[in-house]
Amino acid sequence: MYYLVTVVVYAAVDVMSCLGLSLQFGVGGVTNFGFIIFQAVGAYAAAILSLPSDSANGGFQTYIGGLHLPFPVPLIGAALAGAALAVPFTLLVGRRLRGDFAAVGLLVAAVLMNLLVMNYKPLLNGDAGVALAPAPLRSDVMTTASLGYQWGFAIAAVVVAAGVYWFVRHITESPYGRTLRAMRDNDKVADSLGKDLRSLRTGVLLLGGAIAGLSGGVLVSFISVWSPAAWTYAETIVLFAAVIIGGRGNHLGAVLGAIIVPVGFEESTRLIANSNPSLPPNLLPSLQWVAIGLLVALFLWFRPQGVLPERKRVIALPGSAAEAGRPSARIPVSAPPAPGPVPITSAGLIPMTTAGSVGPAAAIPAAPAPAPQPVAPAAVTPETLAATPAHDIVLQAIDVSRDFGGVHAVSHVSLAVRRGTLTGLIGPNGAGKSTLLALLAGTDNVSAGHIVYHGQDITRVPAYRRARLGLVRTFQLASEFKRLTVLENLLSATPGNRGDSFRGALAGHRYWGADEASAIAKAAGILTRFGLEPLANEYAGDLSGGQRRLVEIMRALMTDPQMLLLDEPMAGVHPELARQIGGALVELCRDGMTILMVEHELAIMDEFCDPVIVMAEGSVLAEGTMTELRDRTEVVEAYLVG
Amino acid sequence: MSADGAVSPRSEHRDSDHTARGERIQAENVTAGYGGDPVIRTVSVQAAAGQVVSLVGPNGSGKSTLLKSLVGIVRVSTGRVKVGERDVTNLAPEEVARAGVGYVPQVDDVFAPLSVRENLEMGGYLLPKKEIAGRIEHVLTVFPRLATMVQRSAGKLSGGERKMLAMGRVLMLEPAVFLLDEPTANLAPAIAQSLLADHVRQLAERGAAVLIVEQRAKAVLAISDYTYVLGGGQLRMQGTPAELTGSQAFVDSFLGGRAATAG
Amino acid sequence: MSIFLASVGFGLITAAVLAIAAVGFTLQFAVTDVLNLAFAAIMTLGAFVAYWINQAGVSVWVALPAAMAVCSAISVLLNFLVYAPFQRRGSSPITIVIVSLGMALIIQFGVQAIVGGVNVSYTMGQGTTLRAGGLILTTVQLVIIAISVVVMVAVYALLRYTKLGKSMRATAANRSLARNCGIRTSRVITITWALTGALSGLAGTVFAIDIGSFGPTSTDLFVVLILAAVFLGGPGHAYGAMLGALLIGIATEVSAAYIQPDYKYVIAFVALLGVLSLRPSGLFGARA
Repeated sequence: MYYLVTVVVYAAVDVMSCLGLSLQFGVGGVTNFGFIIFQAVGAYAAAILSLPSDSANGGFQTYIGGLHLPFPVPLIGAALAGAALAVPFTLLVGRRLRGDFAAVGLLVAAVLMNLLVMNYKPLLNGDAGVALAPAPLRSDVMTTASLGYQWGFAIAAVVVAAGVYWFVRHITESPYGRTLRAMRDNDKVADSLGKDLRSLRTGVLLLGGAIAGLSGGVLVSFISVWSPAAWTYAETIVLFAAVIIGGRGNHLGAVLGAIIVPVGFEESTRLIANSNPSLPPNLLPSLQWVAIGLLVALFLWFRPQGVLPERKRVIALPGSAAEAGRPSARIPVSAPPAPGPVPITSAGLIPMTTAGSVGPAAAIPAAPAPAPQPVAPAAVTPETLAATPAHDIVLQAIDVSRDFGGVHAVSHVSLAVRRGTLTGLIGPNGAGKSTLLALLAGTDNVSAGHIVYHGQDITRVPAYRRARLGLVRTFQLASEFKRLTVLENLLSATPGNRGDSFRGALAGHRYWGADEASAIAKAAGILTRFGLEPLANEYAGDLSGGQRRLVEIMRALMTDPQMLLLDEPMAGVHPELARQIGGALVELCRDGMTILMVEHELAIMDEFCDPVIVMAEGSVLAEGTMTELRDRTEVVEAYLVG
Repeated sequence: MSADGAVSPRSEHRDSDHTARGERIQAENVTAGYGGDPVIRTVSVQAAAGQVVSLVGPNGSGKSTLLKSLVGIVRVSTGRVKVGERDVTNLAPEEVARAGVGYVPQVDDVFAPLSVRENLEMGGYLLPKKEIAGRIEHVLTVFPRLATMVQRSAGKLSGGERKMLAMGRVLMLEPAVFLLDEPTANLAPAIAQSLLADHVRQLAERGAAVLIVEQRAKAVLAISDYTYVLGGGQLRMQGTPAELTGSQAFVDSFLGGRAATAG
Repeated sequence: MSIFLASVGFGLITAAVLAIAAVGFTLQFAVTDVLNLAFAAIMTLGAFVAYWINQAGVSVWVALPAAMAVCSAISVLLNFLVYAPFQRRGSSPITIVIVSLGMALIIQFGVQAIVGGVNVSYTMGQGTTLRAGGLILTTVQLVIIAISVVVMVAVYALLRYTKLGKSMRATAANRSLARNCGIRTSRVITITWALTGALSGLAGTVFAIDIGSFGPTSTDLFVVLILAAVFLGGPGHAYGAMLGALLIGIATEVSAAYIQPDYKYVIAFVALLGVLSLRPSGLFGARA
């Protein structure tokens, strides 16, 4: 009977630690190879908080503390100790360090801490470990040896584990949890959407550390001893194996993994050992480690998503909002009539155009008349621009340069973007357009010069804070959060959601439900506007290239930006869709948004952008309407001669 | 997808001498991409020995992807690539190089931590050891500027020097075919002009087939024997520079919309 | 003063052993792109291969090349069966690190399953003790230092003067361009695994000789020093790793002479944590 109780308690402890790791690794994407030391510190904390001082305890062991505090203080102390230990490691997992390098640092920390505790006896009794930690709530009536107490403890441990499950689920299924998953999928993009990576990673390290600490506290309260042999670095791999096998990002999977891997292995080896007493003592534990190593590798190869893969969060769109939005807000699919293909039959030339393409050759009208101007851009004609006061400059680059080694990617660029304009940025490959955009957004740092936004110098403001100021960028390469649905991608960008912080998440759905509902309504509106509401609950990673570009633009719009920096938003998008996007952008500018857009399709520039800035060789060459620019020889030469 | 029947069985593999001259590179109905939708569709181009053939077109028209598909970096889904009579379709990049094709990528075109001399040695990787020093001397006479900085690490060169090194590295083997991906991108106009006129043209004069991707259409036309215009992943036009120059449609294909008169 | 000099002597030995391991590890990472956390486990395997041969009555110095050969073969096999397939599939660096940790468990505890948990020692003489101006070293220790110096010079000569070494550097710098030069990079990578695997066998055996009594878990802590040396020098930089090893080796042993000896690893760890937090490209590496 005692055996069964032990199994239950161990299972509860393993479930807790796997849940902590699941939160860090599966949800937050932080690979904590030192996880076990957080459990260890919790166990020691619980032990020395509950033990009497070492001199009063028979004197055969030495340890600090010995405060003899009553239940539940040692357990609370265990959780706090786990969280406190996480603080120094937040340095490692900050904004930029590669995840695998941080993992190495944590692994080394685990190895080292074990050594220190083992060899420094005065601290925690060295390699012998602390013993005789008192069980909680024991009394003369309830002796720890009684079966009733044992079962009581086991049930309490299971209840605590269930509480931890509820807690991590509660956090994960909140807007805060969604932000963590977004960071896991693409931290650079999350940064550009205004998420503070350092604080988010600090959060998961502290939370996971506290859970690990608590699990250690529960364990030591039951087994009453704790020594360095119980928490070698390899124990962390067992927990990783459990989470990987159970299913990354699925907390039920973590529970399942905890029961299959640590508990299952412990028990099966015990059974084998009992039935074959002649085996060498070290053989089975060693083989157990070998098996763990094999399991990790095999699962990562054959079933990387685990037994219970992360489930898709399906969120119902408010039907009414979608219906109401449809007729008015949707862009007419056939907005600007695309000019038909025109055969080119100049002497000696072989026309090769195909119908329906928006390639420049196809977009050339038959007559040498101006390109057909759609109705929409009328709002940003030169007349309205002229009426714009000069002080109405949203974003300004002043003598900005960026060098990579000896190469001047951007050199002495000065430009100003006026409110309400859809400004185009064109130039040949390598002209420095994308670099300039990164400098403006703060995803790259200037070598010299200043960036001024609404009159404020933001040169040293990091990307996420620029995003919070309303200056939001998109990326040239696909940058959707792959394992978030389209709708979640949009929701993740919502600023000011009350549930998008640890405290908010903790306060629960009642606290952030209203914010979430309005965010969903807003997302539904945007989805409808771009005609993507049927795909709202598809994983963004499963969409086509063009649809992913749309997701990115929609997500940027969710941030309520004042100014968008778009890096080739129409690249790889079907021409028809590109026109729709262009029309939508023009409409946004009419409503007061400012957009700076890098684009290489000149037909797009023609149709939607005014003014257009031309870059070549890292410098601004010219600025004006496309029509003006076409008559400027230096612009023509940038494209044709150079 | 398209005319798969057109693909004939691979021609017999001839062990190609890597310094062989007078080979023609040929792409026949090549469709290629990065896994999703193809980036280029059924494109056929060729360059014969002694010719400079240019590929021009707006950004994103698939020029670079075409070159990458010729050298085995991007997978060809249908169509085939031939160097001389040898079918090199979808061979690994190192095998295409061994078939006598020298390729200068647009970016990451040198081994930055290696010295100029070491870069050239790597370019001559396939040469017998005793020939390398002599070839380096030769390349340094072609690019005298590099001769003054053989010990400098490539990452510290200026843009123009770096591109010369990238071309010099390929020149080490005297390959039968040169594929150059926008060699003048990021270079000052004067340097770009001289790179094209002095060096690229010279490669063809010495008997190689040169296929060059360029954005500076006018400059490259001046040194080309034949030009292809790509747009949206397909061939839009082709012809000799004389045929293309002054053609309104050609200018339009770069500037879109209403045409301007090129200076 | 004599304590200081003696500790410098210890530092030189530690640095000598460390340099072999750190250079092997960093070269492996540079050329193959695998942050192979099983490196230390392979060192352990090498040490035991030498032990088994030594038990048969053969001198450990003769057993040393055999240990190197076994570790070389295991490393090549590990790449062929595990790392290369994961890389071909496009697995993230973090996945490969986790896999390598799994491989570390398999190798280290595979060895433990065979040998049991007890520590063993080679049967060998320690040679005479030499004193030179306060430095106290045995001939065995001098041999270890000499081996290390030879290896460092050999690695330098390989990378600087040979075609293979240059193609390794080219592969590390720009794999795609290396292939465009006609370099069969998969072969270069296989050779790199073989060479660095041999270095791990060498490092494991001289490490075991140096510490005297060793067991399957003896390298657990040595990993701290290896990683500290590698990251101090900038991951992927062979010469950086050499300097890092020298710095870490001497700093840890000198500090051990003045504070509690067991805390020498703390120095290495603080150095590692500091360099990871503040300058992940290493003290001597190029800027990020």
